[in-house]
Amino acid sequence: MTDDSTTTRSRHGSAATAAAGPGPAAPAEPGHRQPRRRGVTQQQRPLWLLAPGGLLMIVIVIIPLLLAIYISMIDLDQYTLRRWLDAPFIGLQNFTEAFQSGLPKSIWISVSFAVLSTIATVPFGVAAAVATQNRYRGRAAVRAAFLIPYVLPSFVVATVWRTMLQPDGIVNTLLAKIGIDGALWLSGPTSYWTLILVEIWAAWPFIYLMALAGLQSVDGEVHEASAIDGANWWPKLVHVVLPYLRGPVLLACLLATLNHINNFTLPFVLFGAPAPDDVNVMPMIVYVTSFQSLRFGLSAAMAIVSLLLVAIPLFAYLRVLRLDVHEEGGRK
Amino acid sequence: MSTTASAPRAEVRSRRTRTAAGEAHRLLPRPLLVIITVALLAMILIPTSYIVLASLNTDIGVAEGQFWPSTFSVDSYTKIWTTANLATGLLNSMVVCALVAVASAVLGTVTAYVLVRYTFFGRLTILRGLVGLQSIPGTLMLLPVFVLYSSAGNYLGVAVVGTRWGLFVAYLTFALPFSTWVMVTYLRGLPRELEEAGRVDGASTLKILFRIIVPLSGPAIVVSGIFAFLLGWNDVLFASVLTRPETQTAAVALSIFGATQEGGALPVYSQVMAAALVTAAPVVLLYMIFQRYLVGGLTAGGVK
Repeated sequence: MTDDSTTTRSRHGSAATAAAGPGPAAPAEPGHRQPRRRGVTQQQRPLWLLAPGGLLMIVIVIIPLLLAIYISMIDLDQYTLRRWLDAPFIGLQNFTEAFQSGLPKSIWISVSFAVLSTIATVPFGVAAAVATQNRYRGRAAVRAAFLIPYVLPSFVVATVWRTMLQPDGIVNTLLAKIGIDGALWLSGPTSYWTLILVEIWAAWPFIYLMALAGLQSVDGEVHEASAIDGANWWPKLVHVVLPYLRGPVLLACLLATLNHINNFTLPFVLFGAPAPDDVNVMPMIVYVTSFQSLRFGLSAAMAIVSLLLVAIPLFAYLRVLRLDVHEEGGRK
Repeated sequence: MSTTASAPRAEVRSRRTRTAAGEAHRLLPRPLLVIITVALLAMILIPTSYIVLASLNTDIGVAEGQFWPSTFSVDSYTKIWTTANLATGLLNSMVVCALVAVASAVLGTVTAYVLVRYTFFGRLTILRGLVGLQSIPGTLMLLPVFVLYSSAGNYLGVAVVGTRWGLFVAYLTFALPFSTWVMVTYLRGLPRELEEAGRVDGASTLKILFRIIVPLSGPAIVVSGIFAFLLGWNDVLFASVLTRPETQTAAVALSIFGATQEGGALPVYSQVMAAALVTAAPVVLLYMIFQRYLVGGLTAGGVK
């Protein structure tokens, strides 16, 4: 782990090398600072400090992940669970069985649920960010209120909505008062839309937060310029302000989609397991297959398919994410 | 994190330009602003105020479909401690999540420091991994952990499923990468010059880390710990599989309590609402105390 090939330099670094940094071209004169790779250094790397966190991550993350791949290729059920090393190896049979069972439908439900939820939350988030951009009395309270659904834990949101959406719950009672027939929100095809509605309710503040961060970057002069041009609010908003939000909101959409696909708590607590067919999202089918049908090998195969599903937005996210320090480290 | 640090400055600047530019900054006409704000507030506040009102109602009142309680009472808040497994749940959640928070904040800080300050083979892969791990489906992680735990009895002679320690380790699989990433985003904004002074004085890396870096990163370390805490507190998946009734977390206790009310003679929905608010309280409290740090960290880390 500790690759100390460069510690041939002095143990603590002389004053000159420390001030000059790693770049050979950087003279150590204050005030004449050369652009250099600030923040990252090659000298006397104390890589042993990585050991505690790194080893722990290998043991609790990497090994289980590799094991998951192995499990997906063995026939593991409740009888072989405790002796999984002896379970029969069956290659890709779990995967073929998964695709012949309910998996394709679950993929479709998961993807459509995630995409619809993401798309639906964007207008709410952007509208909220734009509406709280200008100062007014009580804005702080409004902003705090906007965060309520986000701060509440998912299991709390799911539990209270489950209670409110009961056939004799408050939602149907209020709907009846204004003359609308309530629905069986938690069963049948309606459950799919219930899931999306509750997810929208819980998830839009995330878009709002990211849009808010984007609005901070709008230059004040932009407003003045468009005011001089006599731009009305709508063209100004659409052509001047919203373009600033494209990047942050797209990023937010990517992350939100990832979170929607992986969301287990909401469907699980809202509908219970096994869930109605229409909300049998990927995490639910994996959970039910392993912990209710006790087909661990089969469900590991399903889980790996769901990882591949997540990998698409994840790679897109990793591409746009600034991993290294060069851009940020140089900023003052 | 770095966005939070620069926020006050941006605020001051924009206030100055606003007085100069006046109405030019207004993004929306006033009526539209009012409509949007009222609509969004209604969407949030009608359900949330119902939760609060129902928790202050009686079980009979809630069952009758009252929005506004005919009689206010705090009975539900006293009854839940006997009807639900809530006290055990809260205690277990507190213990496990606090341990997770401390462990991932400490290990995350040390690991992040090396990742930010030094280059080495595989560094970018690790950084990518830290982000990627946050998006791995929980079910994919739970399966092998469960298999390892349940076979531990056979192969090693120790029972792990159902213990708090087992849950603690399971939560670390998500909390540790996340805390590390939060610290990476913070530490890379920290100017190097601060450490160089120490290095000139000949301080060792450990000394620099604990005398210079840690005191400067106090809020960020706290935030990374809180996020780790919240990951555990908000989890249902791992806890529903890896716990027994004695080691149940608050999340599982509440979900079970809520689910078992349906179809009974008199569902105690008022108590469900009270229990929901009690289990949410620590989270809400944490957000209220650390609001500006947490919100900044959210946009940096990108995961709830």
